[in-house]
Parts: sequence; structure tokens; C-alpha cells
Amino acid sequence: MKVWNGENEHMVKEDLEQVQLERLQSTLNRAYKNVEFYGRQFDSLGIHPNAVSSIRDITNLPFTTRKDLSDNYPYGLFAVPLRDIVRISPSAGTAVKPVVVGYTKGDLKVRDTITARFLSAGGVIDTDIVQICLNPGLSAWGRALKEGAENIGASVMPMSHMSTSKQLMAMEDYRTSVLLTTPSYAMHMLGVMETMDTDAKGLALKAILVVGEPLTQETRGVLEAAFHVDVTAGYGPSDVMGPGIAFECHEKEGLHICEDHLLLEIIDVGSGDTCAPGRAGEVVLTTLTARAFPLIRFRTGDLATAISEPCPCGRTLARMTGITGHTGEVLTIRGVKVHSAQIERILEGVSGALSPRFLVHLYKEKHLDMVEIWLEMTDTMFSDEVKVVEHALERLRQQMFQMLGLEATIKLMEASTLDRYAVPSGGVIDDR
Amino acid sequence: MLRIRNLHAYYGRIRALDNVSLHVRAGEIVCLIGANGAGKTTILNAISGLIPRAQGEISLENGRINGLAPEKIVGAGISQVPEGRQIFGPLTVLENLQLGAYLRFRNKEKGAIEQDLERIFQLFPRLKERLTQIAGTLSGGEQQMLAIGRAIMARPKLLLLDEPSMGLAPLVVSDIMNTISALRDRGMTILMVEQNARASLGISDRGYVLETGRVVLQGSSEELLNDSDVKRAYLGKDYKTFWEGRGPV
Repeated sequence: MKVWNGENEHMVKEDLEQVQLERLQSTLNRAYKNVEFYGRQFDSLGIHPNAVSSIRDITNLPFTTRKDLSDNYPYGLFAVPLRDIVRISPSAGTAVKPVVVGYTKGDLKVRDTITARFLSAGGVIDTDIVQICLNPGLSAWGRALKEGAENIGASVMPMSHMSTSKQLMAMEDYRTSVLLTTPSYAMHMLGVMETMDTDAKGLALKAILVVGEPLTQETRGVLEAAFHVDVTAGYGPSDVMGPGIAFECHEKEGLHICEDHLLLEIIDVGSGDTCAPGRAGEVVLTTLTARAFPLIRFRTGDLATAISEPCPCGRTLARMTGITGHTGEVLTIRGVKVHSAQIERILEGVSGALSPRFLVHLYKEKHLDMVEIWLEMTDTMFSDEVKVVEHALERLRQQMFQMLGLEATIKLMEASTLDRYAVPSGGVIDDR
Repeated sequence: MLRIRNLHAYYGRIRALDNVSLHVRAGEIVCLIGANGAGKTTILNAISGLIPRAQGEISLENGRINGLAPEKIVGAGISQVPEGRQIFGPLTVLENLQLGAYLRFRNKEKGAIEQDLERIFQLFPRLKERLTQIAGTLSGGEQQMLAIGRAIMARPKLLLLDEPSMGLAPLVVSDIMNTISALRDRGMTILMVEQNARASLGISDRGYVLETGRVVLQGSSEELLNDSDVKRAYLGKDYKTFWEGRGPV
């Protein structure tokens, strides 16, 4: 497999650390000066950017959380004037307000390079035909992947609203050689393919690259055997730069993080201390080159483990395992990160008052994540006309789709049914 | 080749450099851009050992050089061409060049010095024509060439250039920039300070942007030339609205 950025992906550790230190220091200088939030945060803690004289000193700096991102909605964390922003990319986030990520022209160039590294490591070359199948909740990543693949020079079929059978037809007819999707959608496609009598041998597919959800060895095994392809994974939280900021190489032993653009820390969720290598903890990222939207020690909520051994592929970029879980209540549904508090807010918005008691039920149907919202029936609902209730439920479904990009089924349940599950309102029953 | 980490420097009580880190790889031209007083020249002077109180780490090919006397630093392979040329006006062109090899005369490298003179004449034919002329009577561009030639006579690994385009007519500036570029093509490594950001980024591989003693941006010359901030502040695009306080708008 080709290494897209040989010079940067094979950098000697000492040179890499110098570059990281220089970029970290200038990022801190810019963030401190241009972003009121960081200026205030540093001042209140009596920290000055010049206190960082080695990349290890980053542990002295405060964390940035999704709540901070949401509190500064929409443009509060931008470090450049708005007119320098060329892309505004909202992501649902996991708090009250969504998160708006801005990119300058230069940021998009960096993102395209990073995405190209990921795609290139997964085997994408300029003669490939690349098909992107992602759900609308991951549309920002769909665009990034499209641009990254175009950067390599491949022919790209961007994400669309085609049904799975249409996608499969396109895959066969257009001679798609690379599929970019989520692990669960790839499994779903496999299931649909079996019902359609399509033979994987008739496809030109050579690689599947997955994003959005962790890739289990089991899923990888099934997909590789069924499609006769290599399956590699990329990682990137929607608030940080791009979908492939960390990516698997052909060794498939952990994800290389683009250390020249991002500093990776794995921290203990409770204490915030750096985890010893080999111990799982929360992924914390600091941007080193982002101009528009610098993030300093951003807590992603994703759990992973750092891998300290060098990779046989020759890349010197540090590795981490795939995401093994999430902190707190964040759910990953079809690659989209959702917090049950977001669902609660949507309910409040629709019901116009205190939201009724609800549970989130997750299950799999043909390998796809399905979402059911179990709503408690209340007396007020009974007194209303059926039409009114139906209308409210429809609005709820629409809101769920608009806010989170997810199709959900709403079910009305009796209070006693909900009581059977020893879960407080807003809780999750995960049958996946 | 050159690696600087966490450089701090003061003039009296005024902080001139605040935690500056940068590096120059062999065979590169790297330029430092920034407004007057941003600390660009201070960095060069600190590298040359002219600011003894500077704190931080400066190393050349993995050997620490900060704390060394200026002449030891020249001996280690760093020559600086100061701002405003500062050639010896009353001396001839040849004498100026010979003075550049002062440390090497003592080392009895006379033959090698003759060869170097020849090489400099290849690079700057004009200097050969004016070999016996009093340096003070040269034109500005010629004086700059002489100053660079004099610095090369010490056979440096790294050349530091302070405002090589200062006070020169635009045509002469492009002449000097071409010469600097030719030097890199012959294997010289160059760290250059310039107010003329467009001209210097035009021939550089990478650059660092300084503001009030701090590095606020770095990148390839292409990235910097296309950066909106750099365009506004240093390439003459609506200067007034640049950084008028915090906030995005």
C-alpha cells in the first residue's frame, strides 16, 4: 500500500517532537490571543502559553469538553475572523447546543491530506472507483471522504439517498473498487446482497474502509471473507478535523494517529492523569495545525489504549487501538454520537412542557442499528384526540431526524411496562 | 541542522523573545517574518551568541552552541550577515572578503581560501570586477553581495541573513533573492529574516511568523503565502482590519 505522506508518516521521533513542540506552542499562542474562551480559561488558572516547553507539559493545561464546545455555540471558539472561514460544518454534538466546526481554506487542505493518508493506507489509488455509503448523520464525514478520495485522484460516487439494493446495483454496475461506509452498514449490505442473489465474485470490490463505529475483529473477518477484500478502519470524532485522523495500515494492528497534526493523549477518565501504555483510557486530542477551530486537550469521550511498539509498516506515527467504548452516556448509533439528554430536549421541544418519561431501546435489524423511543403514556395524552397525538409523534420523528440524522420509531408504552426495566428515564436498553 | 527550543531573551526588562522554538533542516531556506520589533533579529543575534543572557536551547547538528562565545559559534559553522550590510567601508572588496576568512587564516588554510574566493567570484562576478575598489563606494546591492560573500568566506554550514533586501531597489531585491536561492542550490542552509515577506517567502522552503516575540504560525512558504492572516498583515492586504481585538468577526 502506498504511503501518502512518506516524509511525514516516517518522521524520526526526535524530529517529530520538535515539529510537535513548535506547532503546539504557536497553537497555544494563537488560541490564547484569539479565542476568548481559552484566554479566560488560561488566565483564571494562572497559566501562560509560554509555560509549555516540551510536549509533555501539555498535561499542565486544562481540558476542553463537549460542553465547552456547546457553550460557545456557534462561533465562540473560532480563532480566525469569520471571513477566513470557508466551511461551516455543524455536528449534533452531545449537549444542549450543537457544535459548529469551522475550516479555513488551509484547514481543508490539511484535512484532505490527512484523509488521503487514511484512504491511501487502506489501498485507495488514483484509478479506483470509490463509493461512499453513509447515513445523513455522518454527512460531514461523507464530504471529507469525498474530498480526500478526490485528492488522491480516484473517481468518487458521493453519498446519496439510494436504497441499499440500489447501492448494491451501483456497486456492481459501476465496477466500484472501494467502499467507504460504517461497519454496520457494510454488514447490512452483505445481508441484502444475499437476498438479492448478487454474488460478491461479480463485484470489482478490493477494499472496504470503515468509519463512524469501532470495527470488531469478528466483523472484519466476516466482511473480508464474504467480499474477498481488505477491511481497514479510520477514526475521527465529528468535532475534530476529519474522519481519518487515525487510521489502520495494512498490518491492521491498531490505528496510526496523524501526530504531526494532532497530539494524542490517553487519560484516566476519573483522575485525568495520563494512562500507562497498555491501559485503556479516554482519547484526548489537541490540534497542532488547525487555524479556525483549535482544540486544546479535547476530551472525545471515546475509550482506547495506546500502543507503544513500533509498527512493522514503517510509519513512525504512534498507534492506538480501535475505540473500545465511550465515557458517560454517549451512544454511537450508526456512527452518529447521541446523548440521551439530546433526545430528552427534543421531547421537551415537541411536548412543550416537561418531557414524559422515556427509554431508548437499541437493537439490530439486518445488522443495522435501530432506535426505538419508548414513551410513557400519560393521562393528558388520552384526553387528547388521537390525531393530535399522532401529529405530535410525527413531529417527534421528524425532529429526531433533523437534529440527529437518525430514523427512530416512537412507541407509546404503559407506565408499568417502563417500570419493568430498572432504568431511570432517559436510560438506554441496548440489545445490539 | 539547527534546532532551537524554548528561547527566551530580554532587553533590560523588556521581553524580546517568549518561548520560541524552531528548526532548520540541511539545505533549506527558512525565513522569519513579522513586524518591526517582533523579535526576528533577536533570534539571529541569539544564535550568533550576541545575546549572552538568552535562555533556552540552541543546537547545531546536535551540539549545544548557546553559551559559546560568538567567535566559537562562527567556528562551529554559523555566519551572520548583519542588517544594513556593515561592510568595512574604507577597505577594498578583496580585503573585506579576506576578513571573512579571518578565523581560517590562523588555521593556515590559505590554498582553500583562494579556492573559496574563486567560488564567490563565480556567484558574484560583479565583485571580481571591483576587487580593488573601496567597498564604501559600491552600490547598495553590491555591498549586500559583498556582505554575503564575506560571510561565506568563513565556510559556514548555516548562513544567517538579516534583512538582505533592506534599502534596495525592487530590481536589486530580486537579484539578491536569486543569489540567495542559488546559494541554497549549492548546498548552503539559510535562515533569513525579512520584512519583505513576499520576496522572502518566494524563495524560502518554510517560514515562521513572529508577533511580539512569539511564534504565532509556521508552515511551508506556499501555505503562508496563501494564509489570510499573513496576507493581511505582511503582504499588504487591508492591514488596518488585522487583529482588531479578540473574537471572530
